[in-house]
Parts: sequence; C-alpha cells; structure tokens
Amino acid sequence: MSEGTQQSPFSADQRRALVCVLDRIIPPSADAKMPGAGELGLADHIEQVLRKTPDLLSTITDGLEAADERAAGSGEKAFERLPDSERSRVLAELSTTHPGFLPSLIFHTYVGYYQHPTVVAALGMETHPPYPTGFPMEPGDLTLLDGVKQRTQMYRDA
Amino acid sequence: MSEEAVDVLIVGAGAAGAAFAWSLAETRMNVVCLEQGGWMKPEEYPTAGVDWEMRRLGDFGMSPNSRGRKEDYPVNDSESPISISNFNAVGGSTILYAAHFPRFHPGDFKTKTLDGVGDDWPVDYAQLAPYYDVNARMMGVAGLAGDPANPHHDFPLPPVPLGKIGETLARGFNKLGWHWWPSDSAIATRDYEGRAKCINLGPCIMGCAQGAKGSTDVTYWPLAVRQGVEVRTQCRVREVTLGANGLADGVVYYDADGVERRQKAEIVVIACNGVGTPRLLLNSVSKEFPDGLANNSGLVGKNLMFHPYAMVNGVFDEPIEGYKGPTGCCLMSQEFYETDLSRGFVRGYTIETLRGNGPVSTALAGLGGDIPWGDDHHREFANRFDRSAGMVVICEDLPEEHNSVTIDTDLVDSDGIPSPKINYKLSENSRKMLDHSVARGTEILEAAGAHNVLSQAPLQPAGWHLMGTARMGTDPAKSVVNEWGRSHDVKNLFIIDGSIFVTAAAVNPTNTIQALTLYIADTIKKNLSNLFD
Repeated sequence: MSEGTQQSPFSADQRRALVCVLDRIIPPSADAKMPGAGELGLADHIEQVLRKTPDLLSTITDGLEAADERAAGSGEKAFERLPDSERSRVLAELSTTHPGFLPSLIFHTYVGYYQHPTVVAALGMETHPPYPTGFPMEPGDLTLLDGVKQRTQMYRDA
Repeated sequence: MSEEAVDVLIVGAGAAGAAFAWSLAETRMNVVCLEQGGWMKPEEYPTAGVDWEMRRLGDFGMSPNSRGRKEDYPVNDSESPISISNFNAVGGSTILYAAHFPRFHPGDFKTKTLDGVGDDWPVDYAQLAPYYDVNARMMGVAGLAGDPANPHHDFPLPPVPLGKIGETLARGFNKLGWHWWPSDSAIATRDYEGRAKCINLGPCIMGCAQGAKGSTDVTYWPLAVRQGVEVRTQCRVREVTLGANGLADGVVYYDADGVERRQKAEIVVIACNGVGTPRLLLNSVSKEFPDGLANNSGLVGKNLMFHPYAMVNGVFDEPIEGYKGPTGCCLMSQEFYETDLSRGFVRGYTIETLRGNGPVSTALAGLGGDIPWGDDHHREFANRFDRSAGMVVICEDLPEEHNSVTIDTDLVDSDGIPSPKINYKLSENSRKMLDHSVARGTEILEAAGAHNVLSQAPLQPAGWHLMGTARMGTDPAKSVVNEWGRSHDVKNLFIIDGSIFVTAAAVNPTNTIQALTLYIADTIKKNLSNLFD
C-alpha cells in the first residue's frame, strides 16, 4: 500500500482543524505568491511525520480537539469557523495549555513547506535537489586582496 | 585469516589511517585496516534528495549520540560545554568535514618557547613542510599562494569561488584594514586525479555527492587498496592485546555480525581520533598495564583539547546567494592569530567565513522568534532567506590535564564495549578569546553592511577537533608517544591521529594530522630494520 492511500491518523474533524491551523502557522502571502501551508496540502506531510513518530500523535490530536473546544466556547461549532484573528488567539492560548502542540506543528510545517516544490519555485530556486546540477559561480574579485598582499610577514618564525 | 599475523594492522580508516596505509603500501608489507563503519555511497548523500537540509538532523548529523547509525558508539559528553562530533566510515570524519585545510604556523609547534604556555612539539614546521606538500597533492588542495599570514606554499588547484557573500565580507575586512585570504580548501576546483570538479552544491558537511571534496574514501583509500591494502569494514576493535614479549600482538574485534574475532599483527597502528584512541587504550587493560595500554605516563586520555568555537551571524539587505558554494570554505582571517597580550589572552584565533543557508535551515534558524508563525511569517522569512551569513571563529585551546577522556562506567556501544566519557571545562583564556572574537566578528559584519548581528560562544555542537589525549614528546614521563608516534612503553605500537598533538593551534587539524602521519610513516619506513630497538 502506498503512503498516499494509508489511513489517516486523524478524524475528519481533526483533519479539517489541522488544515486551518496550518494556514494560520503559514498563511498565504498578501501578494498571493506564497501559498498557505494548509492549502498547499501540508496536512499530508504532517500525517507522514506522525507515521514515523507515532509518539507525537496524541500531542497533535489533543491540541486539535482543544482548538475545536475553544472555538465552541466562542460560540462557533469548530475552529475552522473562526476568523483569522480568533484562530491566532486560540492557538496562542494553546501554547500555555498544550505546550507541545504548537512548537511541534510549527517545526514540521516549516520543514514541509520550505522543501515543497511549489514553495521552492516561488522562492526563485530550482525545484530539484542541488545534486547533480549544482550552481555555477564566478571566481570572484581577487583584486580585493591587493591591500592584504602589501602586508609584511604576519607569522612568527620559530 | 584471523589467526595469521599481518605485518601492519591499522585501527581506523579516517584521515590518518588512510594516509598511513597509502604511504606503507609501497613497502609491500601485508597491511590491514579495521574500520567500524563501511564504504559510503556518494550518490546517496543528502544533496541528491529534496529533503537534503533535514538530513543534517538525522542520519547525517554530527553527533554520534543522535545520528542513529549502527556503526556509531555513544559518547558521554554531558560534562562538557562542547559536544563530540565525528563520523564513522571509511574516510572517517572527513566524510562530514568542511574541508577547510590550513596549515599550522611555525610558532604553533613552539608555544612554550614563544609564549610560555603549553609545550613545544618534538617536531617542527620545517620537518613537516614536505609532508604538507605531499598531502596537498594527495588530497587535492585549492588555494592561493602568497598569504602574508602563512609561510609560502603552493597549491595544485585554484581557490574556491568567493561568491557574492565572500566579496561582501572581504569589503568589510578591507574597511577595517584586517587580514583575509581565500581559504585553503581540500576541494577539487577543477577535475583532479579522477575526481569531478566542485559544482558548488553547498553543504559539504553532509558528504559530497559530486566527489569533489577531499574525503579520504576518494583520495588516499582507492590508491592504497589498489596497491594491496585490505580494508575490513564493520569491524569494531575492543582492545589491543599484549604478547609475552611486551609487544602488542594484535587486537580483538567484533565483525559485522557481532562475532568476536582476533587479528594478530607485527605492528599495531591506532588512528581512532582524540576520543576513540584513548578509549581503545584505556579499554586495553592487562597485568602489565592495569591503567590502560601504553599508559605508564598516566597521560592517556589527559589534556583533551577542542577548538572552542564562536559563531557570529548577521542579516544583509541584499541577496547574497549564500546557499551556493562550499559551506565552510570561502575566506579566512588570521588578523588575531599570533599572541598579543594587550588583548587580554595568550595565543589567538582564526576567523572562517561561512556561506548561507537553504530555505528549510533559514526557517528553522528563525524558530526562536525571528521568523514567527502567523501574519508576519512571509515578511520576516524574506528578510532573512538568502540574506543571512557570517562566520565561525576557531580559538586555540591549551592543554590542561583535567580536560580528559575516561571510560564511562555504565555506557556501552552495541557490541558491549565501554564508551568514552568527556570531562571538559572551558578555560578563562578561552573565554576571553571567545569574547574578543565575537566583538571583532560583529565589527566585521557591521563593516560589511550587516545588521541584526547575533552570536553563540562557545558553539555547543562543535567538538569536531579532538586532540591531545596521547601526546607526543621525548620524555616518557610527560608524553605517551615519541617524536615519531611510537609508544614509549610498547615498541611496536604507533598512534597517528590528533591524540598525539601537543598543542592545538587555531586552525582545523586534518591537514596537520595527515602531514604528521606521512612523516611518521616515512620514519617507520626508514627504520624498518631496527624499528623495535
């Protein structure tokens, strides 16, 4: 079975909340050049991470459920129904009540986001790995050394 | 196989073991090297995959304690502000090193005479200079002759490109009137001796997929193997054994399946680095050497030296193309290398400029708050990505007996061999030197146009250079090996790695480890007829 067809570790509600949280961690840029982490599909990346580090699953699912619970306390049915400013407030509160949740998610979101081909291309870089094409570079301006070359011996004889 | 004695048995296939094997190969003696790691496959190095940046936190990390490779042994470095970095494979730590390849200065071998600290070496620069030259040819060293901070030496290859970041920082040095020079680098900047030229992949410190970096698995070893040296991989040595005649008679090791084996030898050569070598000697206990083999002086494991590092980084307004080019090799400064007591410390340091980070590393470096999550994320990321660069400063450590490698009473590796424990305290001299270097590094970055300058000192995961724990000298009471690496106590036992350094200098040690190894190998070859006298 391929990784893409494996069963999600999240319930449907948790997955919806996760996408919204990811879009709050890295929202779309104002000029729309950079996508939000949720809309980019990084929930799949988080699922892959959790398959490799299952110990982290409860930290994430507990945090997502707490986010929905806090949204309910605000009169909404779910975290996804909150406006962006409220989503940020809820996540900031969870930093206190669920201290492992946000740092873990931010770390893995940053990793997944900045190695995603769409993002790498948007940064103006080639989307393939460095090897085997590498990067051309000019030798540089060695006339900058002219002053240094005029200096006398700096080391001590021994 | 295992019951037949070989002529020369080398333990460890890293920088020193490789150079030694190549040098001895011409004698046609039966030379075998036991290595606990295996041969690397450059095509599997991180830069060949999209997740290349993250593997620095995984299987290509610097710490043997977190890397998770079977061939690694754990090190208890909880009692040290600097943690151990190494790599276990054919090529040893040259697989991950930055390939910054400077030489020691002449005065580095005479610190007692010149500055009244440390001790003088029993060899000097003039003796090693021809071997530095051989090593430059064998490793393929790139650089520019004429540096006023070093004795003249030529290079087989032109220097690595400065790049935009190098030129930017060079202008900062020039504004201050301070020395800088293109780094001596063990990097093939042209096609060289079967190695393809550097294509500026970036992170040399995760292995070079191109094979341009001079790690010994692509320099010395292929030649040594072609000449008949046998490298036996996934073989971890537990102890060196002593014969009835008081000479080392071989080793006991575990093979890839964990089966205990014995290999007899006429000459045993240890090349396991400044932590692995004292570990092996201290684990080799006998009636004659109850405190560890070759340890009548009591100095095995003592005088551990690192290079305390500082890191200083800043943010520039313009893109600097920092993810291109060899990470650790660009330019260096030895403006503050030689002793000037008005600075408040003795001896000195080298500044080595770094290139920048890829996008993942940039984002993770901002986790502390510089690149926040939320609405400001893209703005702050854009302010830093391809705009952050800086330098490391490599300070000379001085030998102090209380800084040591001992055997941990609880920790063992996967074969049950007791692990090393590090006890290390940063000296007041090093602390002052680090503070001075951070202030100067900040000046350089600001002169180059950087802002938001931040520093770390000492840099915790920077225990790359492991030296001094089986020091060389002419007095058996004050040293472990003599002036050509032979144990004072066991006449057919040689040590050739950084353990035998008397002082540390303030440069990366690999070039000097290998030059010293070639010198020792040549001395052995010249004295074969009376080697054990």
